Amino acid sequence: MSVASLARGAHGELDQLYIETRELRLQGFLLFLVSDCVLFSSFIFAYLYLRNSGQGWPPPGIQRLDVAFAAWNSVVLFGSGATMHYALENFKHGKWMAYMWFLLATIVLGAGFLGGQAYEYNHLIYAEHVTWWGSGIFGASFFTLTGMHGMHVFFGVCYLTVLVLQSSAGVYTRGKYFGITAGTLYWHFVDVIWVVLFSIFYLL
Amino acid sequence: MSSIEHQVPPVRLGRGFWAATAVLTVLAILAIVFWYAFPLERYLPAAIVTARQVDTLFRFMAAAGSALYIFVAGYLVYFAIAFRARRSDPPDAIGVQIHDNHKLEFWWTLIPTLFVILLSIVSVRIWYEIMLEPENGLVVEAIGHQFYFSFRYPQINGEVTDEMHLPLNEPVTLNLTAADVIHGFWVPAMRLKNDTVPGLVTTIRFTPRLAGRYPIICTQFCGVLHSTMNKQVLVIEDKASFERWYRGWQQKNAHASNALPAAGGQAVSLQGGNASAGQTLFAQKCSACHKVAPFDQKLVGPGLKAVLHDPAHPNLVDGKPATEQNVAAILQNGYTGSMGTMPNASANALSAQDIANLVTYLNSLK
Amino acid sequence: MAVAAVHAGGIADHIHPEPQGFVRRYVFSLDHKIIGIQYIITAFVFFMLAGLLAEAIRTQLLNPGGGFVANGTYNEIYSIHGSTMVWLVTIPLLTGGFGNLVFPIMIGARDVAFPWLNMLSFWIFPVSGLMLFSSFLLGAPTAGWMEYPPVSLQGAAGTSMWCAAIFLVGVSSTMTGINFVVTILKMRAPGMTFTRMPLFVWGQFATAPLLMIATTALAAALAALFIERQFGVPFFDPAKGGSPVMWQHMFWFYSHPAVYIMILPAFGIISEVLPTFARKPIFGYKLIAFSSMSIALLGFMVWAHHMFTSGLAPFLQLPFMILTYVIGVPTGIKIFSWTATLFRGKIHYTTAMLFAIGFIALFTIGGITGIFLAAIPFDLHVHGTYFIVAHLHYVLVGGSLMGIFAGMYYWFPKMSGRLLNETLGKLHFWLFFIGFNLTFLPMHWLGMEGMPREVATYDPQFTFWNRFESFASYLMTFAILIFFFNAIWSIRNGKRAGANPWGARTLEWQIPSPPNYYNFKHVPTVYGLPYDFSTPLPYKGLDEELTDSPPVPAGAH
Ligand code: HEA
Ligand code: HEA
Ligand code: HEC
Ligand code: CUA
Ligand SMILES: [Cu+2]
Repeated sequence: MSVASLARGAHGELDQLYIETRELRLQGFLLFLVSDCVLFSSFIFAYLYLRNSGQGWPPPGIQRLDVAFAAWNSVVLFGSGATMHYALENFKHGKWMAYMWFLLATIVLGAGFLGGQAYEYNHLIYAEHVTWWGSGIFGASFFTLTGMHGMHVFFGVCYLTVLVLQSSAGVYTRGKYFGITAGTLYWHFVDVIWVVLFSIFYLL
Repeated sequence: MSSIEHQVPPVRLGRGFWAATAVLTVLAILAIVFWYAFPLERYLPAAIVTARQVDTLFRFMAAAGSALYIFVAGYLVYFAIAFRARRSDPPDAIGVQIHDNHKLEFWWTLIPTLFVILLSIVSVRIWYEIMLEPENGLVVEAIGHQFYFSFRYPQINGEVTDEMHLPLNEPVTLNLTAADVIHGFWVPAMRLKNDTVPGLVTTIRFTPRLAGRYPIICTQFCGVLHSTMNKQVLVIEDKASFERWYRGWQQKNAHASNALPAAGGQAVSLQGGNASAGQTLFAQKCSACHKVAPFDQKLVGPGLKAVLHDPAHPNLVDGKPATEQNVAAILQNGYTGSMGTMPNASANALSAQDIANLVTYLNSLK
Repeated sequence: MAVAAVHAGGIADHIHPEPQGFVRRYVFSLDHKIIGIQYIITAFVFFMLAGLLAEAIRTQLLNPGGGFVANGTYNEIYSIHGSTMVWLVTIPLLTGGFGNLVFPIMIGARDVAFPWLNMLSFWIFPVSGLMLFSSFLLGAPTAGWMEYPPVSLQGAAGTSMWCAAIFLVGVSSTMTGINFVVTILKMRAPGMTFTRMPLFVWGQFATAPLLMIATTALAAALAALFIERQFGVPFFDPAKGGSPVMWQHMFWFYSHPAVYIMILPAFGIISEVLPTFARKPIFGYKLIAFSSMSIALLGFMVWAHHMFTSGLAPFLQLPFMILTYVIGVPTGIKIFSWTATLFRGKIHYTTAMLFAIGFIALFTIGGITGIFLAAIPFDLHVHGTYFIVAHLHYVLVGGSLMGIFAGMYYWFPKMSGRLLNETLGKLHFWLFFIGFNLTFLPMHWLGMEGMPREVATYDPQFTFWNRFESFASYLMTFAILIFFFNAIWSIRNGKRAGANPWGARTLEWQIPSPPNYYNFKHVPTVYGLPYDFSTPLPYKGLDEELTDSPPVPAGAH
């Protein structure tokens, strides 16, 4: 028996391998989230540092942000967290259609959040003429952090879209759905980051 | 494995070990004596009161560190020699299988810990003395620029560029800040430094105790000429001389709103410029930033091949026509424009004669 | 057809098919050993370049007025020298290089957890190196390896290239860190418990989280600097409300842990070499492993000791001073345990052993001057002077680089199947050891007497010692040339090593040199610590390793 034939072996064998590697990938993925979290934390630190080193906050010439709008937008994002949770649960229990609907709902809500953010950016820059990225430390921290978060949401939406396609192609089975677990973890991670960003930018 | 651990025969240290220990102890004591006897102040005078405390701390650490090092390295060398494999050993001979020794490990954790506590106490106390220097001393400000310091005495309210004078035995409160980038304000003889950070005022306090002239050195990289930012001096002098100097500036300042010729200061005389002296000077002081090449071949600043005779560039970088006087003004006052910063005369350490020589030289380039 | 059985070893037993063809085998290889060698070769190429830059530094400093290169060029040279030595030489060599090469074998694994990620990490590294050196074309960064703004904001276009290059190499380190943590947690052979892991593995295990966490913080700082330089978004420029001191916090939050990234794996190498050649168990195994972990943890809490002069509130500085002192305790435990390991040994003076002993002798000096620097009153005197340059080279060259050389002489047979020439090796050691001390020892007093660092020209009163150092550094160059010659010559002409030329007891020496693609024909079971010379090897299931037949999955018989 050659080494090569082993890896191309029967199905049962590959699944066995899959179970073993899943744990590795899960751990690796969690560690990736840890380091991503450090990335956000560093920028959050930078924001808080700048905020406390200047002459009061918000800097002169900048109004407070519109909390109400952002709160609604956050509700949309957290809603997508819930739908993602149900998507995974349904998948685990073999309810394929429900899974698909929840997944699609997540994508729509995620996209909705991005739309809301785009509207908010537009409003801040053109309607209120408050600020833009390079205009001051407020713009620097606000647009960098929320932009980074928005990018994460954007990549998440792309990934979930790929999940939809892959699921319809039957890539995931009841015993083998790491891609969905990873997507869910990622999505929750992005939600949690938003909780922090929302508190420090809108509430603090 | 654990069964073997318990079979380790008691380890004897042997005569050689004690002999080595004795030698190392003697060496360690010699090292300690050396550091306490070493005449540090012969190499670097202690110009302020707390400089001596810093020396005390250094002596303490150097003595302890050398003693420690002598033991570590000494045993290392002794073991390395004493326990080498010999020709007579069978090829598969092994050492005595010692895994650990909890008592020994306990002690060599505890002793360094105690030492760390002792060192913390010593250094916090000395740190405290530095911090506790009197608050309401003579106020002086030092402002870091690319590439010089300017000093202000708030009561005079003008810039005093090349030297900083302080009276002996009077407490000083020195406020530091910078105009452009971070610089480091260091007077080695004071054993004290602090960064000058733009947008931030930091304060150090001290009391001069030894008259003399001491170099002020920039210790934070601040641009091409960082390495030349050490031409200025701190003058510590008796109270009478200080007052004389201080009053001199006060009077000068009453006439001119700015003590040194900043923008628009008096014109430099260009009489008697010597082109070849200028050429030598140019190679020393200007060639880091300027080539003798057409205007657009720049290093840091523009090429200066024909500053005064280039039909393509009838004006200098500051927009004024290219005349000898205007070039001299740039050399005297410096200029910051789109390419960066041209240092002024005191940063380049140029005298009026130097400027005259340089301008003559530049004029000779066609 | 056998089924790959799950047993206690779990995934460790899973076998990839060996790829065919030169490219798949040696270029885009997934094999951790090949990737390790790729890292080592690439990093040594960068070492030559950075070493040449170091000699350019020393040549400039022959005369107080400089004159070898222009001021601005000099600044570019030491900035790239520092950046390259740190990010492209020491870190990749010690983690990606030696880490990949041996630690999976040491824990009885057939590869790392994510071979693809590993390959990607490697290939990012030479690319970022090329980017870093290409910054010379745009005008390289001049503000040193720490690139403090606002000067770095004024730097030429190459400074942005520098940000991008270091960012990329950081991404590569982060991925390596993740890979190593998962590998060590999940892929140990049956019986390889944490208290049986070789100390080199412990070194990697302490380092990997630093790679993962600290490097990401640096990535954020670099991204911010890049954005600020390219798009004018204010983070650090005080003129626009930013804070230059914030950069220092972000940078040192990474770069202090980074110095432990550069020393903990070297500690691991020393902990392997010493017992092997003293024919004795390492003294105080548990305490050494524990001290690695505590150094890694403490490393996150002391960053501001680089910033005692930057205008922090005084009461904030004190805890940093004291915590920095505390790091001396676990490090001391290591030093003492290594020294004790020699006691009553049967010491064989191979070149690797000489470098290991030299490591202890030199690193301790650098460590002790580190404690000096942690004392705020003294640091206020010597910060930003050649005293710092002396400290950092004693720990980095006397420590990390000596460790790297020890590792090279020790594991070269595992890479190539041949031994490095010992005579040349000893010559290399002695010339390097002497040249090193003569170069860097005088820097201590130069710094204390008033010579600032990062200067292209200096006060003529320091001429004598600077010349002295420069000539000594040429001696060091000569020593390193001997090493390169030795390595290249020995690949073809060295003595054949056989599986275990040193009589060492860790797992990598129980399989052929160089090992087969799949490392172990059978994944062994481990029964004890590797360092017990009086007992039989604590491994089962290795009997057939030395034959060259393909592996059999466990459970097939
Ligand atoms: C691991 C890290 C490392 C290593 C190994 C070295 C190695 C050396 N370093 Fe470096 N150094 C740093 C890290 C390191 N350095 C850092 C971080 C800084 C701070 C930078 C800053 O301020 O920003 C610094 C700064 C620094 C300075 C201070 C510059 C200044 O402040 O102005 C000096 C001055 O002497 C110096 C010298 C040397 C020398 C002589 C060596 C020698 O040991 C080098 C020996 C190696 C060689 C000589 C290579 C030999 C190889 C060849 C000759 C091969 C031939 C090549 C071909 C044929 C292509 N270094
Ligand atoms: C491999 C890299 C490495 C390592 C391991 C270390 C280890 C240490 N370093 Fe060093 N350091 C650098 C690389 C490293 N450093 C670099 C590159 C810089 C300059 C950066 C720049 O500005 O460019 C720097 C700068 C630097 C500074 C800033 C100085 C300044 O800019 O003003 C300080 C200050 O506290 C410091 C302290 C220490 C300490 C306390 C240790 C400790 O970990 C040392 C511990 C070891 C020992 C103490 C010796 C052995 C112990 C015993 C024998 C036991 C008994 C001893 C005691 C109980 C005290 N280092
Ligand atoms: C730190 C680098 C630096 C040094 C050293 C330096 N210069 Fe300059 N110089 C500049 C820069 C930068 C400019 C352009 C300023 C701008 O327009 O932004 C400049 C501009 C000039 C100009 C005006 C050029 C023109 O075409 O208008 C003259 C003349 C000049 N320098 C002469 C000198 C002389 C003479 C010396 C030596 C004493 C000298 N410089 C040293 C950086 C330097
Ligand atoms: Cu100012 Cu260096
Ligand atoms: Cu540090």
